[in-house]
Amino acid sequence: MSETSRFRSLEGGHGALKGAQTAWDMLSEEQMQKHITTGCEELDAILGGGIHCKEVTEVGGVPGIGKTQLGIQLAVNVQIPVECGGLGGKAIYIDTEGSFMVERAHQIAEGCISDLLDNTAHRLKDFPACPEILQPNSFLANIFYFRICSYTEQIATINYLEKFLEEQKDVKIIVVDSITFHFRQDFDDLALRTRVLGGMSLKLMRFAKKYSLAVVLLNQVTTKFVEGSFHLTLALGDTWSHACTNRIILYWNGNDRHAYIDKSPSLRSATAPFLITGKGIRNATSHCKRVRMM
Amino acid sequence: MEERGRVAGELERLIDGGTQHKCAVASQVPMPPPRNPRSAIHAKSPITKELGEEDVGMEEVSVAIDRRQPPWLNGVELLEDAKWNKHALPTGCKGIDILLGGGLREGQLTEIVGPSSSGKTQVCLHSALGVADLHLGVVLFLDTCNSFSPHRIAYMVNSQSDTLIKEGKEGRLKRIMSSILCHSVFDIFELLDVLHQIECKLKHQVKSSGNRIRLLIVDSISSLITPILGGKNSQGRLMMITTGILLKKIANEYNLSVLVTNHMVGGEGGSLKPALGESWKNIPHVRLALSRDQGSNVCNVSILKHTIIDESNTGIPSLIWRRHVASHLIPTNYLPPAHVSPSCSSSSPAVYLLPSSLASLSSPRS
Repeated sequence: MSETSRFRSLEGGHGALKGAQTAWDMLSEEQMQKHITTGCEELDAILGGGIHCKEVTEVGGVPGIGKTQLGIQLAVNVQIPVECGGLGGKAIYIDTEGSFMVERAHQIAEGCISDLLDNTAHRLKDFPACPEILQPNSFLANIFYFRICSYTEQIATINYLEKFLEEQKDVKIIVVDSITFHFRQDFDDLALRTRVLGGMSLKLMRFAKKYSLAVVLLNQVTTKFVEGSFHLTLALGDTWSHACTNRIILYWNGNDRHAYIDKSPSLRSATAPFLITGKGIRNATSHCKRVRMM
Repeated sequence: MEERGRVAGELERLIDGGTQHKCAVASQVPMPPPRNPRSAIHAKSPITKELGEEDVGMEEVSVAIDRRQPPWLNGVELLEDAKWNKHALPTGCKGIDILLGGGLREGQLTEIVGPSSSGKTQVCLHSALGVADLHLGVVLFLDTCNSFSPHRIAYMVNSQSDTLIKEGKEGRLKRIMSSILCHSVFDIFELLDVLHQIECKLKHQVKSSGNRIRLLIVDSISSLITPILGGKNSQGRLMMITTGILLKKIANEYNLSVLVTNHMVGGEGGSLKPALGESWKNIPHVRLALSRDQGSNVCNVSILKHTIIDESNTGIPSLIWRRHVASHLIPTNYLPPAHVSPSCSSSSPAVYLLPSSLASLSSPRS
């Protein structure tokens, strides 16, 4: 690129740099940005309102803790209409393990709709069209589902997503369940795996920023032998741990499910309990009344 | 024609002789060795004087040579340059500033290394805030992992309890936030393009404008380089070193400070070492290692490499920087990855606690 053409490209943007924004403008944009609710108020509170758009959030936990449930819940909650305080967007669900159950998604959608109708009945009176939109089948119709069976398919899908997102403008969340499954076995060359995963995470970061959507990556845990004892850590190693903006860890505390914020540029470390009911993710009742702040 | 031939031959000899002054001595009247080829051309007597109209061409050529090869400086000029042009930018974290002897030095590339969630982005945000607050100029934040959080900076600004502020809180927040520019890059080629744009803009900029870029932050450079590093060919390493050299060149020529972050990978014996390998190790001028104790809210900073300070014997205790969190115990049935401090040289004596708010610092002008 010659010097003159580079100089010409400096017009526009901030003048200092094409495409740069001041932090002040970004602050105003951020304050107007809505978050995706998880269904549990305490969890939303520690997340600062919910899952943030324009960021990549990693959710990790032991098997059976509820990662897939959270993924499906977010894919449903992103579709809450704008009049009811949600984003009114669509969801992309990339399934690598085959753990997405359509019947469960239908159940969660029904639970979400019934809660909406109960809680915001006064708002819905002004919008008569809402009851038609609030049908479980229409919620299911707005979830774009991709089933992946190998790591090459995973890489190909992520590459294809760019074109898909250009066509479908109102996708607001991408859930990948789980990001690590196909990379844990059959990959002999670990250095190659690191490179491929690094490239994949950069692409996802770019989608999050460019299309203003949230990316949620579900990850598994593995044991690591450090200093003579076994620790539970997220799969895929140290390099992958830097590939996300935020990280939430789900864990068992006795018989209760808790969520803990492990990494975030703007949120405090905190824990919150949550419950998985027939309707989806909800507040934990009874003994854990207060969010424990760190 | 033969005059041109003579000029071309002369020029060739000058370029070949280059820095060895052979050209001046060759077959002419003996003269003092030139400082650079340009003065050699002007100091020449017989041949160039004959070719009056060729002087214009020689001027252009000498200018072209000068542009490629910066003039030689002696030690005194370098010292003057360091004294007047290369100041230290305070990071706002007292401990890090003391450890670095003033702050991030202009003209140098500083690298912060640390495991996940050890506070690297927080140090970057705090430095951006510090530089913008002291009216030093514009901060450019190149973000590769969407971790630039204006909300967090606003929180830091509002939580600083300064009694000397004359302007209102709102005005101060707006002023600070308007001096911080953020640009997202997700590709090593985009980064190189942005750096070339910056270089071009700085070259054509009036020297004394108030919107001078003072601090350039790349968070994190390792996530751009990891996808290309390794493999059979060494293109990745080439791009990495090119980027490093370009960053250092911009820092030195335009008197700004560059701050980059890097992550850690597992080394032998389970200890952590900085990523990006041996080739990158020598590129930054200053390397700092951050580590956070498990379950704690304080971070340790230590020097891995510095141009002036001896890292084994700083005489300053290992410094701790308090995070903006209250203390809490991590639940025992989930244990985050062990954050082991790097085994390379770090001073270890007592612990030094710092306030989290922006401490008043001495003026950056030495």
